[in-house]
Amino acid sequence: MKLNIETHGRTTLAIAEGRLDFGAAGGFQKQLEQELSGAALILDCAGLGYVSSAGLRAFLVIARAAQSAGVAFSLCALQPAVREVFDLSGFSRIITVHADRATALAQAAQPSA
Amino acid sequence: MRALDASASVQDAQAGESESALPVALARPRLIDRLPVLRALRSADASIRQRAQQLLRPDHRIGRAFDNIILALIVLSVASVLVEASPGLPAWTRGPFHIEEIIVVAVFSFEYLLRLVAAENRLRFVFSFQGLVDLISIAPFYLAGVDARAVRALRLLRLLRILKLQTHILENTVAVRTRELAEKNASLEQAQAQLKAELDIARALQIAILPASFPAKPGCDGAARMIPATTMGGDFYDFIELPDGRIGLVMADVSGKGVPAAFFMAVARTNLRELALHHDEPGACLAQTNDVLCAQNPMELFVTVFYCVLDTITGVLRYANGGHNPPYVRRADGTVEALNGAGGLVLGAMPGMSYPDHTLQLLPGDRLVLFTDGVTEAFNPADEAYGTERLIAEVRANGEDAAAALVERICRSVTLFAGKAPQSDDITLTVLSWGAPQ
Repeated sequence: MKLNIETHGRTTLAIAEGRLDFGAAGGFQKQLEQELSGAALILDCAGLGYVSSAGLRAFLVIARAAQSAGVAFSLCALQPAVREVFDLSGFSRIITVHADRATALAQAAQPSA
Repeated sequence: MRALDASASVQDAQAGESESALPVALARPRLIDRLPVLRALRSADASIRQRAQQLLRPDHRIGRAFDNIILALIVLSVASVLVEASPGLPAWTRGPFHIEEIIVVAVFSFEYLLRLVAAENRLRFVFSFQGLVDLISIAPFYLAGVDARAVRALRLLRLLRILKLQTHILENTVAVRTRELAEKNASLEQAQAQLKAELDIARALQIAILPASFPAKPGCDGAARMIPATTMGGDFYDFIELPDGRIGLVMADVSGKGVPAAFFMAVARTNLRELALHHDEPGACLAQTNDVLCAQNPMELFVTVFYCVLDTITGVLRYANGGHNPPYVRRADGTVEALNGAGGLVLGAMPGMSYPDHTLQLLPGDRLVLFTDGVTEAFNPADEAYGTERLIAEVRANGEDAAAALVERICRSVTLFAGKAPQSDDITLTVLSWGAPQ
C-alpha cells in the first residue's frame, strides 16, 4: 500500500496504490489524517485494487475527521471491484465519489466546494 | 461431623480408603523428609549460599566495595613481597609486614570461603583455575607460616589474582544478566500463554452464542455453519423466533478483526435480537439497530447485516440489507439469482439511515443461501478468490440437497479450493429451504 501526496492549490490530492487490507488500513488512516489542512482532500483510487472491510473503516474514519475539520473529502477513479464494494456497503451514499481525477479536482476548485 | 450426621460413616469409610492409599504413593519422599537434620541443613545451606552470592554480586554496592578491597589488598601484598625481599631493610619493619601478611591472608581466606559457599558446584570451584589460584595465594601461609622464605616467591603468584578477579566480576555480571533475562523471558512467555488462553476462551464464547439449530417449523428447514478464521473475526448469524410465529434470519459481518470486532459482534447481535422482537418490518429493525450501534461505537467499527423475516406458512420473505452481500435464491428450476435491494449503509457508521423493505415470494423447493464475504473472498495459494461464480455454480448444481447438506457441500468446496492458504476471514453460510407445509 503506497500513498503519494500532491498539492493542487488549496486541494490535497492523495494517490493510493496497492491493496487496502487489515494490515495496511491503520497506516493508511494515520497518513491521511495528516493531510486534512487544505480546503479539500481527494483520494485517487485508480491504483487501488482491493479494499477490505477494515479498509472501509479507514475511509469512514477519514470522512468523519474531514467533516469535523471542515475539509471536503472525496474519492475518484474507483476500480470496478472497489466500486462494487462501495456500492454494496452503502459507502457511496455517504462519501462523494467522482468518476475521474479531473472531475474531482474541478469540483474541489469551485468556490462553493 | 461424625457427631452431627450418622450417615457420615459411609463417607468416612470412603475417605479412609483413599487415605490408606496415600502413604504408598508418598513413601519415598517421606523417608527423606523424616531426616529433619538433613532437611534443615539443606535449607540452611541454600540460604547461606544465596546470601554469599548476594555479597559477591558486582552490580551491587556491597559486592563492588568488596571487590575493591580485595584488589587493593592484592596490590598491597604483592608490593610488600617485593619490598620485603629487597636487601638492607631495617629489622623493625618485620613486625608490620607480619601483621599485614596476616590481615591479607585472613581477608583472602574469608573471600575464598565465601566464593566456595556461593559456588553452585563447590568441587568444580575448588579445581577450577580461579579456585586454584585463590588457594595458592593463601596456602603458603598455612603450610609454612609467615616466615617461610622458601615459599615466599609463591606469594608473587597473587598477581594472578588480579586477572582472576576481573574474570570473577565478568562471570558474575554475565550470570546476573543471564538470570535477569531468563526471568524476563519466562514472565513474557507466561503472559503470552495467558493471553492466548484468554483469546481462545473468548473465541469459544463467541462461537457458543451462535444458535446451534434452526427453530422447528413444518415445511421449513435451515442450517448454518461458521468456519472461524485463525484470528478473532466478527461474523455471525442468528435465527430468531418472532412473537407472530415468523422466523427472523440474520447474516452479519463486523469490520476488522480481533477483540474489538468480537466485542462489537456481541453488542450488534444482542441489540439486533432484542429489537427484532419489537419490529414487524426488517427495515425498521435495522434502522433502530443502526441508531443504537452508532450511539455505542467508540471504535468506529461497523457491521454489514442482511436481515429477513420468513412467514413459514405463506413463504413470503421480507428483507432489508445493511451493506451486506446480497444472498442468492435458487429456484426449483435451477436458476440462481441475487436478491435485489442491496446498497443500504452498513450499521454503526452513521445514525438516521433508513433501510427499505423488499419482498421475495418463496416457492416450494426454493433455497435461500446467505453468506459472508469470507466465502467469496477465500483465497487459494495462487492468490485467486473463490468468487461469486464458483458459489453460484455450487448452489445451482446442488440445490436439491437438504439445507444442512448444501451448507456442508459449499463449505467443503470452499476449503478444498483454499487448500493450504491461510484463512484470513471467517467463512459463514446459512441455507434456508422452504416447501409449503402440508
